[in-house]
Amino acid sequence: MKICVCVKHVPDSAAKITIKGKNQFDESINFILNPYDEHAVEEAVRVKKQVGDSEVIAVSVGKKDAINTLRSALAMGADRAILIKTNIRADSVITSRALKAAIGQDGKPDIIFTGKASIDNEGFQTMYRLAAALNMSVASNVIAFSLDQERVLVECEMEADARGIIDMPLPCVIGTSKGLNKPSYPTLPAIMKAKKKEVKIIDLESLAIEKPMSSIEILELKPAVEERSSKELKGQPEEVVMQLIRVLREEAKVL
Amino acid sequence: MNKKYDAIIIGAGIIGASIAYELCKMGYKTLNIDKLSDAGTGSTAASCGIVRAHYSTEDGVAIAYEGFNYWLDWENYLGRVKDEKGLARFMNTGSILLKSQGHDWRKVKKHYDAVGVTYEEWDNKKIKEMVPVYDLHEFWPVTRPEDPQFFDKPAKILEGALFSPEGGYVNDPVLSVHNIMRAAEAKGGEFMFNAEVVEIRSQDNQVLGVMLKDGTQIDAPVVVNVAGPHSYKINQMAKGVYEGCNIKTKALRHEVMHCPSPEGYDYLNNGYQTSDGDLGCYYRPEVGNMFLIGSEDPECDTREWVDPDEFYAGKGGHGRDNQLTDAQWKAQTYRCAKRVPSMQIPNQPRGICDLYDCSDDWIPIYDKSDMKGFYMAIGTSGNQYKNAPVVGVMMARLIDACEKGLDHDEDPFQFTLRHIGRTINVGFFSRKREINYDSSFSVNG
Repeated sequence: MKICVCVKHVPDSAAKITIKGKNQFDESINFILNPYDEHAVEEAVRVKKQVGDSEVIAVSVGKKDAINTLRSALAMGADRAILIKTNIRADSVITSRALKAAIGQDGKPDIIFTGKASIDNEGFQTMYRLAAALNMSVASNVIAFSLDQERVLVECEMEADARGIIDMPLPCVIGTSKGLNKPSYPTLPAIMKAKKKEVKIIDLESLAIEKPMSSIEILELKPAVEERSSKELKGQPEEVVMQLIRVLREEAKVL
Repeated sequence: MNKKYDAIIIGAGIIGASIAYELCKMGYKTLNIDKLSDAGTGSTAASCGIVRAHYSTEDGVAIAYEGFNYWLDWENYLGRVKDEKGLARFMNTGSILLKSQGHDWRKVKKHYDAVGVTYEEWDNKKIKEMVPVYDLHEFWPVTRPEDPQFFDKPAKILEGALFSPEGGYVNDPVLSVHNIMRAAEAKGGEFMFNAEVVEIRSQDNQVLGVMLKDGTQIDAPVVVNVAGPHSYKINQMAKGVYEGCNIKTKALRHEVMHCPSPEGYDYLNNGYQTSDGDLGCYYRPEVGNMFLIGSEDPECDTREWVDPDEFYAGKGGHGRDNQLTDAQWKAQTYRCAKRVPSMQIPNQPRGICDLYDCSDDWIPIYDKSDMKGFYMAIGTSGNQYKNAPVVGVMMARLIDACEKGLDHDEDPFQFTLRHIGRTINVGFFSRKREINYDSSFSVNG
């Protein structure tokens, strides 16, 4: 079985972003493998182990430093990688077309895993566009996945706490979410082994993808200022617990 | 009319709180002033809270070993005070010092014998029995992952370890300071937060007190500089004090990482605090079954000296000062992973970044100053947390003796460690000493 995992090189969510000029930012910060894509890599490697005689190919669209993110995916168990190199800030239209072209060149896969979104742009679109371009079924926000011969059964988180169960044929595109699995992080021997795995680099221009009729351009970046304020809950322990439950339920809305 | 105290202590970290507690027990009316909002929330908050006895000097070993008694009997040390936040816990894992070229462990062993430290010598078989996840190859010298030699296959094996069963770590360093604050308050001590000292007031070379940023003046015949990474700035505020120190202090940026334990290994409950000079790092268990990984400052790592005000201006706001660097993340986690090859290394760096208050020889300054009434407990270099309760007693006695007329520079104060019955010459920590070349010049002290 051939399994592709599309991964993105994104700024560390803990990084302090410093905006440069109108629409650029200082990129001398840590970049990481997009956390939603970690779940995609983990699931791809699990499927490979389940099926046997399979190959996992990590694919990314980005600047040359995105190779570091591909190395992370390789350390997590991907077999080889493809970097579609570009200095442009690709939107989901360009990204999905580039992925389609590179994946097509490499040979059509049975399953494509990717995170449901990237933590930098949060477009939530790439997996749908890619599936449409490749004429594949697609499901996103996937929190449970099982493969049985030529069919896939997934559970997706939907609005209003609902869960959708989707039975779909191969080939398909799966947008992975947090609850799907617990990514097992690489060990040092795996990281060292990943340094020797193949990474094919393709220039985006060489793929000659069709120019989209329209695309997204970021005109201006502005810092999002998050104000944190602490609040003390006072009273007897029982009262404090009740207050805490109320805050978690009504204000934080996590219960 | 200015408020008046017997002693003002600048800083409410672990050492400042300990000094206040001991001065209060001796009848002093103390005030700790801290620019932050609560006790222990400065550089103490970033301490790994390691409690171990191996130091490069005999007095260093003695003070650390004396300190074990306080951590092992924390509740009684605090006078059984009630703290609404609960008590910090000493996690008595035992402390492993791997025998390697990175530590002068023979010297440590000699000091252990001289001081009477309880320890065992473990061979590699014993280490593997106790910590099966350790790879006991020798990886010396310490290198960085950018160096191709970093990934060379090791050929030699380590020589075993010294194991100190009384060592370990404190699970919550911030809470431990809060505990001492409550103990000091129970003896009459006061703490003032969100207050920044901007001037040390003096007349005729006698300290008079301090002035705060909002113009408030507070009087005391004794002022103690325990300002951590800001220590040199406070010394510079006191006329002639900074110039009178032969040993100076400065702030060093430092990163600590955490990584998940190997699958199936309960490091949190079965692991040991370990000092690994062979790889230039130390590690201990952390909540969540994590490895907490600190650096022993190997020579191949660049030391980044910073202005503490600029550093903390970035903390929690814009700037990179509280950001882990990818290069150091890899250096520290990969080093630890050589010893623990099954340890998991997340793709996203995780850990904390803060400052050490380092002296020129990485040995602290516990001393008076050239200004009457002005004292200092500074240059604690990331390795004095464990010693704080002992230093609290020692500094309180030193201050009291000097205030009663002792010329500590001429006739150094002799301090008896009451638990181990050993007397040390406090002049060892003098500001006027020459650089002590017996030091490890690292966090090992």
